[in-house]
Amino acid sequence: MGGYGDVKLLRDDGLRLDGRKIDEMRPIEIEAGILPGADGSAWVKHGLNIAVAAVYGPMEAHPRKIQRQDRCVIDVRYNMAPFSTSDRIRPGYNRRSREISKVTAEALESVVICERYPRSKIRVEIEILSAEAGTRCVGITAASVALADAGIPMRDLLVGVASGKVEDIVVLDLDKAEDNYGQADLPVGILPNTGEIAFLQMDGDLSPDEFNLAMEYNFKAAAEIHEIMVDALKRRYEGGEN
Amino acid sequence: MVALVPTLLRQELARLAEAGARLDGREQWEARDIVLETDCLYNGEGSAKVVWGDTIIYAGVKFEMRTPWPDRPNEGSLMCSAELRPIAGRKYEPGPPSPESIELGRVVDRGIRESGCIDMEKLCIVPGEKVWGVMIDIHVLSDQGNMFDACALAAIAALRTAIVPAERFDVGEDYTLKVKSTPIMASFTRVGGRYVFDPSAEEELGGDERIHITLGDEGHLHSLQKGLKGVFTPEEFAEIFDVAQSRCVDLRKLVANQEGN
Repeated sequence: MGGYGDVKLLRDDGLRLDGRKIDEMRPIEIEAGILPGADGSAWVKHGLNIAVAAVYGPMEAHPRKIQRQDRCVIDVRYNMAPFSTSDRIRPGYNRRSREISKVTAEALESVVICERYPRSKIRVEIEILSAEAGTRCVGITAASVALADAGIPMRDLLVGVASGKVEDIVVLDLDKAEDNYGQADLPVGILPNTGEIAFLQMDGDLSPDEFNLAMEYNFKAAAEIHEIMVDALKRRYEGGEN
Repeated sequence: MVALVPTLLRQELARLAEAGARLDGREQWEARDIVLETDCLYNGEGSAKVVWGDTIIYAGVKFEMRTPWPDRPNEGSLMCSAELRPIAGRKYEPGPPSPESIELGRVVDRGIRESGCIDMEKLCIVPGEKVWGVMIDIHVLSDQGNMFDACALAAIAALRTAIVPAERFDVGEDYTLKVKSTPIMASFTRVGGRYVFDPSAEEELGGDERIHITLGDEGHLHSLQKGLKGVFTPEEFAEIFDVAQSRCVDLRKLVANQEGN
């Protein structure tokens, strides 16, 4: 996390710089099935973040050594478009995107019923077109809507959401300034129906009480996002298409 | 097994061509529906989204401040590159840039560069010290045929909406990038023995060589490229060149309408 306290992130009236309350999320829009060539896909706009996810498969796993006899493997690629941030990002994989891809894949393997597809591979492609803090969470949300859109059986939808700390106050869903100058960031992937957690990262400084409050915010927000995800999937399959 | 489907598809495409028909019922020179949207991304200094049939492309423009090349101290630079990420379709795999994506980026780059729509000297900030580098990045989200034309359209539309971020780099106030013209690409693919405009994914799968033509505002040629295996006659080229002229006029109108002039 960046500098401590030299940048003002909370207004005198207690609201945040963009006018949100402490426990208020940025607005979210989701659309399922936007890529005609993919088996499943989703578009998620969360604040100024835009993520698109596509699912290809299940398909035969190549090369053979990555095959598992009793389940499928999930191959996730998280990538930021060169024009997604204020300074251009050089195209190609970097250490950050590799790590995010790996832990996202492991989170998705925990919710997909992988035993249903032995020796197969499911490809999940996450492209971040616009980035304003919290892209890994938006990517997770997009990926799980895309998996559901592809008809892959899952134990629950996985919802990506983050809380953090700015000026010693725990806040939900950090925006870019808060992410850059705040004191902590706690992105998680939540299964809203079972109350389990499949994705967890954190950096910065949180006391045990602050952690519990941040988690409480995350769970509350996950339930809200879950409704928007379900609504997107319902809209996609209304009217008997597909 | 691998060759079987294309063989059957090729037979079907040849039969259709004989009857003057296409797989999806279009005329020989008819395009699919095209929707162009600009200023659709928050961090691109210019951006565009093209939905061309089922092909979906995003393009974004970024500016970098750099030192000029020693032999051209008064000129900035323009670079256009395309990424064919694995999200674009089942056949795309991760890895270093494929020859196909390099060709795609370079053909689009040439059309824009050679049209002279950007005055490189206008990109100079301090001669010999500081110039703007303009980067157009093309991101293919869905390749369902005729990616080249869709990419070229997205690239020029994004460039034409670009704002030079001078404030962020502490060199004055932001201003709109001056783009003097609108180079447009029209591509033709041989399907069932004859050329068609705007091939679908199936037509590309069962088709042969392709020809890319980029034309400027006055109908002048700015870039040509032949790709894939196959040969053509001057007569065939003359025919598609005529079609390209009218298709480019239509596509240029699409860009102008988006800009509201």
